[in-house]
Amino acid sequence: MTISRKCVPFTPFDRDLAKSTIAIVTAGGVHLRDQEGFNIADELGDLTYREIPPDVNSTQLMVTHHHYDHTDADQDINVVFPIDALRDLEAEGFIGALAKKHIGYMGYTMQLKAMYEGTAPQIANEIDRGSRADAVILTGG
Amino acid sequence: MKGIPTVLITVSPEVSAQMRPPRSLYPKGFKIGNSLGRPGMRDLQKKVLRDALNLLTQDTRPGETTTIEYPEYGEQYEPPRVKKI
Repeated sequence: MTISRKCVPFTPFDRDLAKSTIAIVTAGGVHLRDQEGFNIADELGDLTYREIPPDVNSTQLMVTHHHYDHTDADQDINVVFPIDALRDLEAEGFIGALAKKHIGYMGYTMQLKAMYEGTAPQIANEIDRGSRADAVILTGG
Repeated sequence: MKGIPTVLITVSPEVSAQMRPPRSLYPKGFKIGNSLGRPGMRDLQKKVLRDALNLLTQDTRPGETTTIEYPEYGEQYEPPRVKKI
């Protein structure tokens, strides 16, 4: 694998964090217990993603991902998907609000082109139009 | 679409750097599966989250990874390296 030859897609942030809405997008395979898990049986990976609401009870979240040890996330999802920590920062006034929509997907794929050209723009669209987020925290496993 | 400001919290800085994320925080020595710290360490998780969010307002160089040490994390781990071909 070589370094991406694409330019760095840097979008300036010119807002006040205390008035900003923040979304979390994780590649850590996080989803709600009552959502379909990611397909870990497919050697090529799973190109789908799950929407997670901002008021979710974090004990209702789980991980389906077979390319990292998620034992710690099974105990406390905040180690990869800091939803409770972000709510604390909202209560403290450090950020303005949690976005209306957060996203979990399984960040392992052998279908890089499909991920780059399909899943990634779909997630960006969910964030841009659906979540009303001013900025996004990205996490892996 | 005009773009969405993002900041990545990475525990594999060499690996993630290949995708050239615009802003990223490496909490030094955190293992894979512990991007924000260990289970139950809410104060540490919040500290890492605050530091990551603060990168949005700082004058970082596009593509640069910022490394911060968090001694309260405890035992440190070596991040995965990219194999030179």
